[in-house]
Amino acid sequence: MECEQIAQLLPDYLQGDLRPDQQHDVEAHLKQCADCAEEIVLWEKLFLLPIEQPSPASRARFEAMLQAYRADRSTEPRGNSPWRERFSSWNSFGWLHAPLSRVAWSAALLAIGFISGLSLANSRSRSQDLAALESQLASMKQMVVLSMLQQQSAGARLEGVTWSTRDQQLDPKVLSALLHTLRHDPSVDVRLAALDALSRHSAQPQVRTSVVNALQDQQSPLVQVALIDQLVEWHDREAAPHLEKLRQSPNLNPTVRQRADWAISKLN
Amino acid sequence: MTLAPDEDLMLQVRDGAGEMLGVLFDRYQTPLFNFYSKLTGDRTLSEDLVQEVFLRILKYRQSYRPGTPFRAWVYQIARNARIDHFRKFPRERAFEPEMLPPVPPTDSAVEQQEVELLQRALQQLPEEKREILLLCRFQELKYQEIAGLLGCELNTVRTRIHRALQDLRKAFHQLAQGTMLKKAEAAAAENIPPRGGRHGM
Repeated sequence: MECEQIAQLLPDYLQGDLRPDQQHDVEAHLKQCADCAEEIVLWEKLFLLPIEQPSPASRARFEAMLQAYRADRSTEPRGNSPWRERFSSWNSFGWLHAPLSRVAWSAALLAIGFISGLSLANSRSRSQDLAALESQLASMKQMVVLSMLQQQSAGARLEGVTWSTRDQQLDPKVLSALLHTLRHDPSVDVRLAALDALSRHSAQPQVRTSVVNALQDQQSPLVQVALIDQLVEWHDREAAPHLEKLRQSPNLNPTVRQRADWAISKLN
Repeated sequence: MTLAPDEDLMLQVRDGAGEMLGVLFDRYQTPLFNFYSKLTGDRTLSEDLVQEVFLRILKYRQSYRPGTPFRAWVYQIARNARIDHFRKFPRERAFEPEMLPPVPPTDSAVEQQEVELLQRALQQLPEEKREILLLCRFQELKYQEIAGLLGCELNTVRTRIHRALQDLRKAFHQLAQGTMLKKAEAAAAENIPPRGGRHGM
């Protein structure tokens, strides 16, 4: 057999996944071909490369992170539904079936039906109709988002945040609701999601200012770390003094302080 | 000691037993650390990225589905964490040979030298070739899992592994020849007295 044919089989040979006859072919070739044989030898020797150990501080950092996470969870009020159910709607298209979404979708469909009915009855131009329809839909979506953000269950508020990300442009009302959510929502997950949604609108100066301000009144280490990361991602130099102030506050979680130090060094 | 499979532990973490993540951390921190350090040569960054992986596991734990092999899932997170990091902070320093860890002495000096050369040869490969060798040789991922990670066909994985091995062999040869030349020169320099040495008397 030629090297090219063997090349097809070699990777499976390395894993021991060949049929006996193929295995035999490869072994016969390896006896004749020094290059291919050497590849196998190097593959075997890769296992001899030194294994490095992370520093002992690594485990301590992990513990601190885990504790911070637990502290977050224990201060968070439990919603009506357990975590998993709340989130299943977040990760898949389950949100289409959530009760609140159903109401919203029915309302939207009703609006479409109503407006298209109107447009058939009137003799206005098609583009005007479409524009009207779009604006109706946009305001409908805003209403849905705003009402979802005020729901009692954290799952519904999460859905509200996801809905808000469906639009390129944020309506000022939705924007201010999201900023309020970022600062005051009782659930860590909702606050993190709000930050994710807001990060897409960094062009609006209001968003950056709010993220900087949120830094001061957040108690949750996870959200603090996410805020710090966001500021670094934006290369927001004006945030450096605020980070400095944060790192000096007493009772600050050590992980957050480390992150703040790192961020200050990145921004300066 | 817990011998529960990774997948069972991850399901417990998903359902709120955060302490089980500690067991997974103990199992995975060294392999993940080596994955990163052999890719970047940067120990500090590698430790930061390992922490980031475990933070992400907590953050995205609800997206872990029963039946998903944990190892493949965690390396997906690990790859993304690295890609995100370098997108945010373009590389500050290249991977230099000085950043390689020392090879511990072995019984045979020849073998130790070979491992050193192999380590340097691996470091010289382009990052994507180094990555695929690390994933299948050190992290023991199956080809099918690597295909899922890299978003390519199974056959593409086989081809890439073979090309990476070919490149590794070429790099290894070049380095070995270079070392042999240096040795020969050193030996020659020892045998031949420096020029003009005898005239000075």
